[in-house]
Amino acid sequence: MDVQAEVPNAVPPVGEHKGDKVPQPIEFPHDIHADKNGINCMYCHTYARRSKVAGIPPTSKCMGCHTVIATDKPRIKQLTEYWEKHEPPQWNKVHDVPDFVHFTHEKHLRRFIFDNEGMDVSRASEVCAFCHGDIKKMTVANKVKPLNMGFCVRCHEKNGGPSDCWKCHK
Amino acid sequence: MSGNEINRRDFLKFMGIGGASAAALSGCDMPTTVTLEEGKEKVAAYLVPEEYVIPGVGVWFASTCQQCGAGCGVHGRVREGRLLKVEGNPDSAINWGGLCQMGQAGLQGHYNPDRLSKPLVRKNGSLVEVSWNEAWALVEEKTSAVKGDRAAWLTGSVSGHQAALLSKLQDSVGSKNHFVYEVINNRVAEAVNEAMLGEAVPRYRFDKAKAILSFGADFLGTWVSPVHFTYEYAGFRSGDRGVLITVEPKMTLTGANSDLWVAIRPGTEGVLALGIANVLLTKHQVDGSRLPAAARDAIAQYTPDKVTEITGVAGDTVVKIATYLKQRSPSLVLSGASAHDHANGYQSAAAIMMLNVLLGNVGQTIESSGGFPVKELTAKRGSSKALADFAALADQGALDVAFIYGANPVFTAPAHMKFADKLAKVHFKVALTLFADETTAMADVVLPLASPYESWGTMVAAYQPQEMTLGMQQPLMQPLYAETRSFGDVLLALLKKRNAADYQRYDDYYAYLRNAMTQLPAGLRQGKSDAEFWDTTVQKGLLKVSTTAPALKANVPDLTQKTAAAASDFPFHLVPSARLGLWDGRHANLPWLQEAPDQVSKVYWDSWAELHPKTAAQLGVKEGDFIRIESDQGAIEAQVYVFKGVHPEVVAVPMGQGHENYGRYASKRGVNPLKIVSAVTDEKTGEIATHATRVKITKTGKSSQLPRLGGSDRQAGRRLVGTVTADVFRKTEGGSNVA
Ligand code: SF4
Repeated sequence: MDVQAEVPNAVPPVGEHKGDKVPQPIEFPHDIHADKNGINCMYCHTYARRSKVAGIPPTSKCMGCHTVIATDKPRIKQLTEYWEKHEPPQWNKVHDVPDFVHFTHEKHLRRFIFDNEGMDVSRASEVCAFCHGDIKKMTVANKVKPLNMGFCVRCHEKNGGPSDCWKCHK
Repeated sequence: MSGNEINRRDFLKFMGIGGASAAALSGCDMPTTVTLEEGKEKVAAYLVPEEYVIPGVGVWFASTCQQCGAGCGVHGRVREGRLLKVEGNPDSAINWGGLCQMGQAGLQGHYNPDRLSKPLVRKNGSLVEVSWNEAWALVEEKTSAVKGDRAAWLTGSVSGHQAALLSKLQDSVGSKNHFVYEVINNRVAEAVNEAMLGEAVPRYRFDKAKAILSFGADFLGTWVSPVHFTYEYAGFRSGDRGVLITVEPKMTLTGANSDLWVAIRPGTEGVLALGIANVLLTKHQVDGSRLPAAARDAIAQYTPDKVTEITGVAGDTVVKIATYLKQRSPSLVLSGASAHDHANGYQSAAAIMMLNVLLGNVGQTIESSGGFPVKELTAKRGSSKALADFAALADQGALDVAFIYGANPVFTAPAHMKFADKLAKVHFKVALTLFADETTAMADVVLPLASPYESWGTMVAAYQPQEMTLGMQQPLMQPLYAETRSFGDVLLALLKKRNAADYQRYDDYYAYLRNAMTQLPAGLRQGKSDAEFWDTTVQKGLLKVSTTAPALKANVPDLTQKTAAAASDFPFHLVPSARLGLWDGRHANLPWLQEAPDQVSKVYWDSWAELHPKTAAQLGVKEGDFIRIESDQGAIEAQVYVFKGVHPEVVAVPMGQGHENYGRYASKRGVNPLKIVSAVTDEKTGEIATHATRVKITKTGKSSQLPRLGGSDRQAGRRLVGTVTADVFRKTEGGSNVA
């Protein structure tokens, strides 16, 4: 399931993992949003370029479209219920690294997208796929990359990332 | 690690990742329980994001530290609604961005797993959890009809609008019974300052002094406003490096920083002060006309020889101290607990302050602060006499209700006071607290308070530096527990019942405080509108207040010294020393502070007893041996720490440990030296003379390793940094390379 992304000036990390299917309160279809409608990953995961965490989209973001789009679909009705109750859905975390690992989305996006000559920001999903797999083709996300230290270090070696322990462990 | 094994070879390979090939990383590809966690944690997004919030990025908010009475300003880093770290507020003239270890550990109180999350009410003899409403209804039922003077408040130091509200509450019920209690206080010196200077808490200008002589005022550790003084001390030591001399029976953090450290027999500090004055007048021809004739007569009695006889301080040391003070003017002479927590404490403190008068320091390095301009907000400073007064009233059966806040007197009261028995005579006891402790165990109702970082408030520290400050306390996060209330909210709720007309309109303490702040005198508000004034004060975390300071007086009272007779049955003096860290024991439940080694002995997680090497040799004990320290009030046992920084006639045991009932980190750990303190008080002020206890020491035969960080206390003759002069270098090492 390795993605053969061709991000300029980047070698995608190697490694696979067969993740469990994690049930979610609403089965969010990544494929409809990111693939079919071509919405950039960072449109919803808006903090990824500014913070260590990518951020789960705030419910208001979903409602920004879904007060008018597909309002009759069962999952959207479910979402609207949450919104009306003033409760964000409690998602189950699929991608996680241990607390002793300091990973920042912002730095990685800078290296592979914003500071990467020849890389167009509209192709962000190819970079996200390095670690998250081809999420654009998934419905509910599941984990297809190991996200363990070997996986990270190999990528750092290939792409000139730092090899100091304290860069990630602090 | 079964199932996820990394063998030693793989591990070593992975340690060498720097230049290794990918294959060498196989150990790092082992799936581990942490990397396999999928779907184990929940993530909730914001419903509607706050504009200024970026998950993963901290936002700093200002507030005020409540870990001691110094009132340092803090900035707290908040991320995803959680407070993660506090640092000093660089704008606060009290701490200029610094924060002591107790302040840093404030978060451990806030997130402490032993925090009370529900009120407790005594039912059939034991405390059981109930809802806030049920507990509150009981408090109202039992207290609302009680006559004013049959109700009392026993609190730690309080200030700002909480203090103002508490006095309004007292007024509304017609009671004067507010006892403000602190074991670690500066009350005797305050009384002397009041009498001699006309102001209890003047400003000390370390920055102007060229020499400091401290009689046990541990200003770098536990005295008055330690972070502020540490900052000032740094200035004192840089540039034209000031000389610090410390006289005390046991080396404190300040003592350890001194140029000259002098061990003194406890209780004789006043005599040494007079001896120094004697040398100044006779040897250095200092002009004595500033002193009244009676004072000069008193001074004349204390020649260096006589001083040596009484204090144990060598005559030439007395001369040396006087010489330093003479050569370096202006100087600053300070006194602290070890000098004045004695039966003759007031006289000692007066003799010490006299040196400032004689040396012309008053008006130079000791200035009037002018006092905080809004009197109702000034700090109610704690004393230990307050505890005795409260206990006496309780003992007479004069109290039906007691509210206890910010103090744990059942733990800190000396055994001779029989405090628990007396408190038991109060019919209805309400404790307001974050944690269950020895005192709450006796309460009828325990109201769980919100943490300082969940509460609104203002704080006016008793000691105000050059830039006078009102500290603003704002919540840095939502309360962790729904059934807790801030101290201000509890006071307001009590007041609403008793004076509905004036207080009903405030929904909560925030509303009261916001309104009260806008009522401050126009001068303090610098012409700002209500909203602007409130917003900027909250944002900055403090309000700078200016006052005009009158000149200080310089009266010198009767300086007659009384020193205690030697007690042959009890040959040693007990010094219950204060530690920056556990303080009087209130921070013993914060693991960081338990773990942090004592600044001088480097012992952690336990109590210890400091003995001079000579004394230890006489007694035949070595480090780690348990000794029994017995006074006329009882005995404690602690492990010996052999140390030169203690007077040979002294055994010093730190305060703070010895809790019976204070959560998982503090309970059943070490001993509390305050328990065996003798029934002696300062004759003038009535303060408990915590340093006046005589003890005897016996070996117990038990021994084990003392939990102590670091090996030797001495440098074994080596210097911190070896240096040679350029000449010597040229001669011995420079060789032909030197032109
Ligand atoms: S000195 Fe007191 S107020 Fe200042 S940081 Fe330390 S504990 Fe907090």
